[in-house]
Amino acid sequence: MLSLKNFWISKKISKFLNYTFLIFLIFNININKSFSDNLEMGEATIQQMIIEAQKHAIDTIKLDPNKRSLKIELLIKKYINLDFMSKATTGTFWKKASETQKEKYKAALLKQIVLTIEEHLNTLATLSYKPTISERRGKKLIYVKGRIEDPNKKKPSINLLWKLAANKNGSFLILDLEIEGISLVSSQKAEAVSILRKNKGNFDVLLNKMTRDN
Amino acid sequence: MTKKYKLLFVKFITALFILNGCSNSTKFTSENKDPFEKINRNVFQFNKYLDQKIISPITKTYVKKVPAKIRSGVSNHLQWMDTPHTIINSALQTDMENTILSSAKFLLNGLTLGFYDLDKGETVIKKRDFGSTLARLNVSEGPFLMVPLIGPKTTRDLTGTILDRQNMATLSSNSIDDLNLTEVPINIIDKRSKMSKTLDNIYLSADPYVKVRSFYLQNRRNEIYSKKYIENKNSDLDAEFEKLLD
Repeated sequence: MLSLKNFWISKKISKFLNYTFLIFLIFNININKSFSDNLEMGEATIQQMIIEAQKHAIDTIKLDPNKRSLKIELLIKKYINLDFMSKATTGTFWKKASETQKEKYKAALLKQIVLTIEEHLNTLATLSYKPTISERRGKKLIYVKGRIEDPNKKKPSINLLWKLAANKNGSFLILDLEIEGISLVSSQKAEAVSILRKNKGNFDVLLNKMTRDN
Repeated sequence: MTKKYKLLFVKFITALFILNGCSNSTKFTSENKDPFEKINRNVFQFNKYLDQKIISPITKTYVKKVPAKIRSGVSNHLQWMDTPHTIINSALQTDMENTILSSAKFLLNGLTLGFYDLDKGETVIKKRDFGSTLARLNVSEGPFLMVPLIGPKTTRDLTGTILDRQNMATLSSNSIDDLNLTEVPINIIDKRSKMSKTLDNIYLSADPYVKVRSFYLQNRRNEIYSKKYIENKNSDLDAEFEKLLD
């Protein structure tokens, strides 16, 4: 009698374990699938942006410089997380800024990114982009690595690393770009924080300096 | 080199090492660790003035007047002249693959005195200097310095640059030393022509000095520490980014 009971209990346990394993398997497959989906989406975002940038470079070459800048600005806005970048580049000082200062800083930062991209846009049109590897980092981040190559092999190739994360709508936006290991967010942060520290967190001084030559 | 100059050289290197010792012993000095910032900023202004008034106009004329093929040849030759540093330092760092590859490339391109890359960029060699050798020996980075005419350096890299020059002077003949002297200004113009867009962009930034320091330190650490440093840096940044995304 006792052995029958034991047999029944062990059967129950084994059933329970089987179900648990099955649930774990389904859950794991789903997670892995969503991770690989995210990686693919991240890679596709970068590919799409490069294609659009190269097309822009050719299409806007004869445009008035201001109109060209405006078009590039629209393109960049579509792919970067400007709110995040503004927060990341000002550190703890961001909380102390007023809403107007925050908006002005975002505009100035965007202008700087546009200027940098504008300078290299014509060169980019003649080069080719090759994605190399992408990886998931932590809970939210995705790294997409790639290389810009000269088809004629006259210029050395440039290694790029895009850091992305999904926004509330589920589309991936760029948080940072590393060119040959140099992080644009880190460089901008070093600059902004140094000015803010020297001026006791006064955002207006930083904004004046950023917009001085633009 | 006369005895007097030798003594001066030894004193200078010792001073740099002492200066290095003033820094904390951590491997990666924080970007804000810049005890000589005030002096460095003045030197940066001086370098910027020289660059904008003399070097940049010469570079623009050089790019405008000299055909791209010749410029590329000059650039190849300068890189070739620099290869012995890589060979010596790769050997000192026991990176045998890089030592062999750079030696082979040096000998092969030596047929054209380095003006033409016979290898057509197929062999990628990692540039190595005495600064990176010192880093391998766990010598700390030391404070950031802005050196007149040379530009950004850390005390360790400045020591390395001087020792590299000294090595070459010991190994080479007087005629090669004279050739090196003429090549210094050409090297400056060649490097400036390659970095013109970046430098002009830096000058337009809110704080050009901090931007140069940040670019230099990030780039140099990537070159020296490679994977280990990149992984450390990325892990720190990831944590910071995730926190901001919450």
